[in-house]
Amino acid sequence: MAYSSERSQEARRGFLDPRTKLALVLILALFVMGGLGGEALRSIKTVLSALPFALLLVERQGKRFLRGVLMLAVGYGLLFALPYLPGVLNFIALMCGGILTRFVVTVVMGEYLIASTSVSEFISAMERLHMPQAVTIPMSVMFRLFPTIGAEWRSIRRAMRMRGIHLGGAKGTQVLEYQLVPMMTSTVRIGEELSASALTRGLGGPVRRTNICRIGFRAQDCVLLAGCLFVIAVWILEICGVALW
Amino acid sequence: MVELKHVSFRYGLGESNSEQASSLSDVSLTVRDGEFVLLTGPSGCGKTTILRLINGLIPHFYPGVVEGSVTVDGQSVQERELYETAAQVGTVFQNPRSQFYNVDTTGELAFGCENRGLPEREIYERIDGTVARFRLEKLMDRNIFRLSDGEKQKIACASVDVSGAEIILLDEPSANLDFEATLALRELIRLWRRQGKTIIAAEHRIAYLWDLIDRAVILRDGRTIRELSGKEKDTLTGETLAVMGLRSTMQEAPDQIQLPTIKEGDREIILRDFRFTYPGAGHPVFDFPELRLAAGEITAITGSNGAGKTSFLSCLCGLEKRCQGSLELDGKRYDRKARQKLCFMVMQDTGNQLFTESVLDEVLISLPKGTANEKARAVEILKQLDLGGLLERHPQSLSGGQKQRLAIACALASGRKLLLLDEPTSGLDYAHMMETAGLLRQLQGMGATVLVVTHDSELIRACCSRRLSFSPQYTGRNNK
Amino acid sequence: MKTDNKLKGRDLINVGIYGAIYFVILFAVAMLGMIPIFLPLLSVLVPILGGIPFMLFLTKVKKPGMIFIFAMIMGILMLLTGMGPWPLLTCAVAGLLAELCFKSGAYKSAKKAVLSYGLFSMWIFGNYLPLFTDYEGYFAQRADYGEAYISAVQKLMPLWMAPVLLIACFVCGILGGLLGRALLKKHFEKAGLA
Repeated sequence: MAYSSERSQEARRGFLDPRTKLALVLILALFVMGGLGGEALRSIKTVLSALPFALLLVERQGKRFLRGVLMLAVGYGLLFALPYLPGVLNFIALMCGGILTRFVVTVVMGEYLIASTSVSEFISAMERLHMPQAVTIPMSVMFRLFPTIGAEWRSIRRAMRMRGIHLGGAKGTQVLEYQLVPMMTSTVRIGEELSASALTRGLGGPVRRTNICRIGFRAQDCVLLAGCLFVIAVWILEICGVALW
Repeated sequence: MVELKHVSFRYGLGESNSEQASSLSDVSLTVRDGEFVLLTGPSGCGKTTILRLINGLIPHFYPGVVEGSVTVDGQSVQERELYETAAQVGTVFQNPRSQFYNVDTTGELAFGCENRGLPEREIYERIDGTVARFRLEKLMDRNIFRLSDGEKQKIACASVDVSGAEIILLDEPSANLDFEATLALRELIRLWRRQGKTIIAAEHRIAYLWDLIDRAVILRDGRTIRELSGKEKDTLTGETLAVMGLRSTMQEAPDQIQLPTIKEGDREIILRDFRFTYPGAGHPVFDFPELRLAAGEITAITGSNGAGKTSFLSCLCGLEKRCQGSLELDGKRYDRKARQKLCFMVMQDTGNQLFTESVLDEVLISLPKGTANEKARAVEILKQLDLGGLLERHPQSLSGGQKQRLAIACALASGRKLLLLDEPTSGLDYAHMMETAGLLRQLQGMGATVLVVTHDSELIRACCSRRLSFSPQYTGRNNK
Repeated sequence: MKTDNKLKGRDLINVGIYGAIYFVILFAVAMLGMIPIFLPLLSVLVPILGGIPFMLFLTKVKKPGMIFIFAMIMGILMLLTGMGPWPLLTCAVAGLLAELCFKSGAYKSAKKAVLSYGLFSMWIFGNYLPLFTDYEGYFAQRADYGEAYISAVQKLMPLWMAPVLLIACFVCGILGGLLGRALLKKHFEKAGLA
């Protein structure tokens, strides 16, 4: 059968629309990490906290799931160990535990978003949200350059090893110079060539861009978005002094 | 139709350091619809500058002073915005790693059309058409970072094809490609030829295009020095080409050059249990239970992209923990750690292996500790390599060839006996290629063993005395 | 060349290039910050190291808007990586201040560039905001160890730490800006990048 780009785009579609993921990130950041809402939202928050972990399982991201669980376990472990720890240790454990348990849910959600969204899906979502080109162009360039920067960095470190440049602790600033300067030089040069190529292909014109990447809301998106609205509704009611339960 | 009338150009401030930036003086060129014109000449002759004038990068991206007029189908390129020219003119650039904007291949093909706001349906249809014609099924829906340079360049051509541009500019598209990938590129260009596209190519490697073109324009120092059309171009001899600073018009596969890997009476380098497997890969890319190479000679390492040649060099340098084999030279055995002090590699991205703020410092940090009269020694080495006049220059501001020589100077300073070079002549013109060949012979004369990974048959002809072929039948026991 | 102030494709791509380098440095430092003890170090290390790409970035800034966009994108990325919506807020404010400051130097004053980066660096404070906002409310829900935690946090991160961190961001930003300028002179100008 002949290749059909439309069919293969459809086949590559993720479980959730990236916009749904963005909405979830926001809700989690506000309510779970930010601590908006009081007693009425307590049980809802527990459900929300479990959500990113569940989503990681849906997308079969076992490794990330385990890492998240580990972070959570260490965080709570530290907090539960508190009564048995003396002075300074107690203090450190408290600090670490507190911060870990507070940030872990949103960090796991961020991991889910990054692991499950392709760059084109993300840009497509930003465009559908009517983000201006002033935001979408730099962001797509960034996502494009991250792997390049990683590769250049590795190549520079290898070159240093090959040339036998081992710098002791005393020359910390030099390590920095030796690695950062060539890394930036080659990234900027690649970036320049990248922009030349992109501009000859019409990037930055005044027309509204199309995007062939398939995104769109399906049943699972609607359920989760409705959930987000529900959380907000409960919160507003609570502020207005209406107790639901 | 593309028309340049009495065009002169000088790059503006800030662009003076860019390597290929060279000015033009009074160049006129007319390319009719459906014509295929080759622009060639030594580096710095202005061929890339002409392409930039046609696709509008000059003056919209590279500022400078343009005199005369450049028009595409009667429209002035200078007066139009870049995105307007983009619909008519498509460009394939030299560096496969820096010209793609997307992370996945399908998105990359769609990019030009998306920017113009074409309807999705039409873009899908165009992509499917190009994929079928270019036979790209296997490359679709892939991460571009995982493609070989040859495959990336195919995607770059395909994305120009999808955009539907009638005028196609090729800016040294074969510079980083091996023999097979260059042939594949040639096939794509033939397809465009048959469709009646207008093609303008700037190239050093002219062999793979020579019988396809209508006309060759030879430039030097920003001027047209000769135009060859039809039969005229077939009568050129090798010497005339060399005088004009051009590469050979004959295509020769590096694997066809008959050179032994080792001869009777050679001093030997013996590699034992030399094998390397990429993390996660099932079988090794190469596996030499025992391999003998000639010491004190210049050995070319040939083979297609992805055969593991570059990994082989890294393993020799002792940079790969996964390769635990040993090397024996003059009765001494070197393990991985010891090899780090025996071998020096001139990498493909030479810029990534230069760290300091001046040419002199770069050599100084390479000298072994306790060298007497460090500075004098460093200057001496730099003079030998014709870098004596550049002591205070910043290494990153040097041209590609100069960076290469500086890296070699560091190798000499460090006193390493085994010199490895990775594709040292990709993108070089005839004169610079010969210069590199001369340099390698000079190193050999100083007693170094040189191993050079290359797909440049002319370089092999010019200086190599041994050849190691990295094709499957040579790479040992597990490859079938 | 035309001197209109509208941002073009090339300007936006430049924001992307330097933004990518800045973010990679930020991310590398944040890996340290995953060990919470080092969290306060972020306000020192990120402004200092980030000054290197940012000062190079400023040499490309000739029109209004680029610094602000740079800042907003950092805010969006922070939101995406789970640092919450507060960085967005501080990014908007810090980005605007940095933009105005550099503009007042006609986009070329070196002193204003350093100052502008100091102001820009204050966005990092947004990452700490959740530690200061409403921690009683948040931890009151965990009555079992809430009290102990709050008192401990108040010792290590007492409220007066908030302005200290903010000032640390600014001061280290100035230092980073100076470091960036020094490397600009020592390397990037000679290498033909600036």
